[in-house]
Amino acid sequence: MDNVVLDIQKLSKTFGGVQAVNNFSLKIPEGSLQSIIGPNGAGKTTIFNLITGIYKPTEGTISFNSRRIDGMETFKITEMGITRTFQNIRLFSEFSVLDNVRTACHMRSDYSVFEGLIPTPRRNRQERAVTDYAMNLLKLVNLDDRANEYADNLPYGHQRRLEIARALALEPKLLLLDEPAAGMNPDETQKLIEFIAEIRTKFNLTILLIEHHMEVVMGLADYITVIDFGKIIATGTPVEVQSNPIVIEAYLGVGE
Amino acid sequence: MILQQIINGLSIGAVYALLAVGYSLVYSVLNFSNFAHGEVLMLGSYIGFFSLTQLGVPFVVAIVLSVVGTGVIAIVLERIGYRPLRLRSAPLLYFMISAMGLSIFLQNLTIVTIGPNFRTYPDIISTAPITIGDLYIGRLDLMIFGITLLSLLLLTWFIYGTKMGSGIRAASYNMRVASLMGINPDLVVAIVFLLAGATAGVGGMLFGMKYTVYPWMGTLTIKAFIAAVVGGLGSLPGAVIGAFLLGITETFAAAYVSSAFRDLFSFALMILIIVIRPGGLMGVVSQEKA
Amino acid sequence: MSPYLQGILILAGINVLAVLGLSLLTGFTGSFCFGQAGFLTIGAYVATLLTMELHVPFAVALLGGALFSALVSIPLGLPTLKLKGDYFAIATLGFAEATRLIVENLEKITGGSRGIPGIPTKTSLPIVLVLAVVASICIRFYVVSRHGRNCVAIREDETAAQAIGINTFRYKQISFFINAALAGLAGGLLSHYVGFIQPAMFGIQKSTELIVMVIFGGMHSVTGAILAAIILTALPEVLRAAAAWRLVAYGAVVVLIMVTRPQGLLGNWELSRESLMAIWNGLKSRFSKKAVGVDHG
Repeated sequence: MDNVVLDIQKLSKTFGGVQAVNNFSLKIPEGSLQSIIGPNGAGKTTIFNLITGIYKPTEGTISFNSRRIDGMETFKITEMGITRTFQNIRLFSEFSVLDNVRTACHMRSDYSVFEGLIPTPRRNRQERAVTDYAMNLLKLVNLDDRANEYADNLPYGHQRRLEIARALALEPKLLLLDEPAAGMNPDETQKLIEFIAEIRTKFNLTILLIEHHMEVVMGLADYITVIDFGKIIATGTPVEVQSNPIVIEAYLGVGE
Repeated sequence: MILQQIINGLSIGAVYALLAVGYSLVYSVLNFSNFAHGEVLMLGSYIGFFSLTQLGVPFVVAIVLSVVGTGVIAIVLERIGYRPLRLRSAPLLYFMISAMGLSIFLQNLTIVTIGPNFRTYPDIISTAPITIGDLYIGRLDLMIFGITLLSLLLLTWFIYGTKMGSGIRAASYNMRVASLMGINPDLVVAIVFLLAGATAGVGGMLFGMKYTVYPWMGTLTIKAFIAAVVGGLGSLPGAVIGAFLLGITETFAAAYVSSAFRDLFSFALMILIIVIRPGGLMGVVSQEKA
Repeated sequence: MSPYLQGILILAGINVLAVLGLSLLTGFTGSFCFGQAGFLTIGAYVATLLTMELHVPFAVALLGGALFSALVSIPLGLPTLKLKGDYFAIATLGFAEATRLIVENLEKITGGSRGIPGIPTKTSLPIVLVLAVVASICIRFYVVSRHGRNCVAIREDETAAQAIGINTFRYKQISFFINAALAGLAGGLLSHYVGFIQPAMFGIQKSTELIVMVIFGGMHSVTGAILAAIILTALPEVLRAAAAWRLVAYGAVVVLIMVTRPQGLLGNWELSRESLMAIWNGLKSRFSKKAVGVDHG
């Protein structure tokens, strides 16, 4: 295997006696697009919350580029190069589309708090550069014509793309996508799949994708991990997983 | 001497408990601190006072009038100040601000209409204390303790022993799940405010008897809020434990350090607890679902 | 200018200073601070003692008050800024009450509840005006800087803000610090204007009044907070007769705003060249449309 970007070892998380994630291990090589799938409530989002430091693991380790990140604060993990989107889209609704992206560019400028109070030429220069960068990014996701609208007023599919753009603004090495196709119709889903494939090459990304629907990941993922009740029940390439009887049963078992 | 302080601490703690439960009840269902709770207490105290002095009714009737009055007032306040926010799922910050607005409004309306003066309750019970050895127990304190305990028992029975009570507990666990179970959220909220209001009514009368009645007496409930925080906002047993802990801390601080710095100790206790255990003694540290 | 009008303007300016940081902290960063009076107290007493005991120049006294108040925000913020909204609100309330209690009981230094009389009245209208304008401009610039955007992001969604790499705690600390500094400055100006301070001037009511100004003006607008500070300072002075009803109305208005228009008077509108141009263009097009309408009508 090539350079492993993310290495999760024997990860467990319990909430008041409920085992949300149980002995979960995963290695993600650089440049790959892996996916975790499983029925609703299988613990997929919990794994993301553990990787991004929103929850602290009960047991196990998470390493990013060979550095332990479990237990670190969320913003530090983000600074190291992991960003994510949320299942229930979490944009800054009182910001314009442009400002949502510009906010995520805060690491691209380094003017001080003092220069925040009194504008200096340096601040103005950096702000202009950030605005240009953000606009370019919006162009890339086809949202540049709506840059000044409130993020809240965008249609659902656009909000998804904006949230991904916001994550991309941080120039992550590893992008975590939490059910990006949730709530989309087949047509929108198809467009999203193409979009993810596009940004993957353009930004040279390693991607971990959580999905509930198997169809979405089939065309995208190099490798799939299937979980149910917080435990890995199968792993393999899309073709292998699709024909795995255990997987089929897990999905049929919850009425899919 | 120490025993005497413990008795004093329990006596004040009991009233804090009654009021802390009101904060915790509302918090458990709506997840915000109803800062107008103190003003409901103040209104209850006035209702009791005027019932006794103007209507000349017996004490028990005065308590009933006060409880009914504050129960209704609390429901009305919820309708005016919080329900519109609930319906559009406003940020919790707005609930807090609205509560603060209600509190300012009621307090100052009382000052303008009834007047800013302190009023003394008529004596309900002999002021001569009961002496056991060298312990002094005020008859009024004993009575207050008894009424508080009775109210808390009634409340406990309602929450844990009735169908409506289990509805409230379900709602406090998860409002959305509760409404899926066929529990009408408006009804649950109304009942919660009725209960919180009623306890504030009893508390108002007890405070009025022990001290006096005045328009900004609602700020006394800051202590009850501290108790609720110490015990863990949203937890009823926590509120009671927190209240007694606070009552005893205060009386000891006043007796052995300085009565002037009593309140400093209350705040210090609160800060200490939430730094060590952010969820309070009995609370659960909620981990937000992202 | 009549001394009466001058007095109102000075008080308005002082209130603008006391409210600016609160607008940043509560309106933009989303931390509900219920203890603004505590920082005013610290600023007022430190500046006054510097003037009266150490006889330092006025500017140094003001700076000392502001700095001391700002420094207090650091140990106060460490345990409290990590807390949820309600806990932070009550902790700041507790801080303000504790400050008042301490001042009341340090009789030898602060004069206890009787306060300190005979403070040299060095606060003048030009000084207040310059400070208020400069501070307003600075805060206005701050909220549109990368730091200000980070603050708003925290208010809008703290988890998402963390997820894009914002050190949310640090930014709350900065807002808290700036707020404490400005409130401390306002306190120093106040004591050197009134010429007398006592703890009773800095009760819960004072904190309430200041936070109401922020809410009334529009929690997401610096301009709104400034405007509200001026209006709500001048109004009770003008309507002396209705003074008793003022706080009743405050309470009612706060509830009304939350229930019907939580964005307050100005929403997130800010005074700027662009926004003025926008209004101007809007007016122009409205009038020209009307003219067209008449032609066709």
